[in-house]
Amino acid sequence: MITLGLDIGSLFSKAVVLDGDDIIGERMIPTTGNVAREIPTLMADAIKAAGLTRDRIECVGATGNGQDLVKGADFREDVVNCVGAAAGFYVPQAASVIDVGGQSITSIALDEDGEVVNFMRNDKCASGSGRFLEMMAAKLGVGIGEIDAAVRRSSRVVGISSQCGVFAESEVITHVNNGEDKNDVMAGVCASVAKMVSAQGRRFGSSGVYTVTGGVANLDAVTRIVHEKLGGEFQRFPFNPQFAAAIGAALLGDAD
Amino acid sequence: MYAGIDIGSLTAEALLIGDGGIVGHEIMSVLPNPVDSAREVMGRLLKGKGLDWKDIEYSVSTGYGREKIQKEGLAQENLSEISCHGFGAFNLDRQVRTIVDIGGQDAKVIKVDGKGKLENFVMNDKCAAGTGHFLEAMSRALDVGLAELGPLALRSKKPLEMSNRCTIYVETEVIHYLQRGAAREDVAAGITQAMAERVVSLAKRVVPQNRVMITGGVAKNEAVKKALERALGMAIVYPGLDPQLIGAYGAAVFARGKGGGS
Repeated sequence: MITLGLDIGSLFSKAVVLDGDDIIGERMIPTTGNVAREIPTLMADAIKAAGLTRDRIECVGATGNGQDLVKGADFREDVVNCVGAAAGFYVPQAASVIDVGGQSITSIALDEDGEVVNFMRNDKCASGSGRFLEMMAAKLGVGIGEIDAAVRRSSRVVGISSQCGVFAESEVITHVNNGEDKNDVMAGVCASVAKMVSAQGRRFGSSGVYTVTGGVANLDAVTRIVHEKLGGEFQRFPFNPQFAAAIGAALLGDAD
Repeated sequence: MYAGIDIGSLTAEALLIGDGGIVGHEIMSVLPNPVDSAREVMGRLLKGKGLDWKDIEYSVSTGYGREKIQKEGLAQENLSEISCHGFGAFNLDRQVRTIVDIGGQDAKVIKVDGKGKLENFVMNDKCAAGTGHFLEAMSRALDVGLAELGPLALRSKKPLEMSNRCTIYVETEVIHYLQRGAAREDVAAGITQAMAERVVSLAKRVVPQNRVMITGGVAKNEAVKKALERALGMAIVYPGLDPQLIGAYGAAVFARGKGGGS
């Protein structure tokens, strides 16, 4: 069965085409104020990337903050269930998932069958989220794609003591004005994000097997520290972790 | 003559009182060393009044470096800034039992007993929501001056609801409202309402009691004050003295009590 999953997130919108459990096409665009009009093109591009036409898609599932903007979806599903489905299927041993999205950090507990049994989400506060990281990187003039490289070039970690994004931003500016190297400050920002992510991860005793999803999971500079802090056994999500929710939405389309 | 010296993070204040009341006060930007700040600010005040250090019978220091200032002999005693702020507010209005102090970087709610003695306090300096920083960020998002935000909000008939608490997320919400063509005064009123809710949730932790006084830079925003009154269901009074001087005033009144004045 060929299915399509759409995840309209707070910062990025993703589309994935699955043939059974094989990913055959994917596309991602930034979520702008105009995203409602861009969704049809996003879908069309993902279908094209899969080498298919629209009529071959048997089911369209939508998730994420902006799921209601997807016209003609066959079903809508909460992002927790979608991330849980993707992690449960592709990382079958995982007992928990930490999903670090644009505006939230969510820890999800899975049972032996990969079903979601519990979750805890912080979406009240930007601390540790993708948005937090994006703000700090922007102040440092480091592109999102250059964060890992910047941290590799750092020679030490310039600590950030505030958890609040607003206060942390002032701290970053103070560090730069004091002549600190931007790579060193970037390392401090990543360490700070990792601290908040692992604090959330610890809620479901991530001492067993776990995986990390969401855009921030692409950053080695963050995940490396999360693993150090959490212990347990980390298993990498086998695809781009930023697509986990979209993949889950597509998988759930096959199950229905 | 009795003296209070209050060294803050940005400004230093000195205040002198006699048995009759306030004799004079001085405010200046801080120097790198709090002891130097204390010597300079009090020196300026004394000189302006044609007085000398010898004329001070008892002096109390508060704020940054208050112990060092005492050790250097510029004060006989030191007290925490929370105690001095509470005592100062109480002595401005003996009915005051709760003081809401909202600064640029933090918010405090102080409770005092019937003698002005510190009973309890709570502070938020971890989260920008409910501090002056929040209002600064929102006035930028609305593209109005900080001083205009209050008057703008007061013109609103139907404040918009902010569904987030986090400054960063509310900022996005404000931009979305404006993009959808919402009236600026309704957005401004939603902002002051959100601000008041954060402060009230902090205040509730100490169970505020009448009469409530508001101090700090944010007190200048009348829309926030009104929203706070509605949310608390209590009337709020302003201090009859520059809010920056309340700590120094509290220290000086305390000094007068210790020095045998009345």
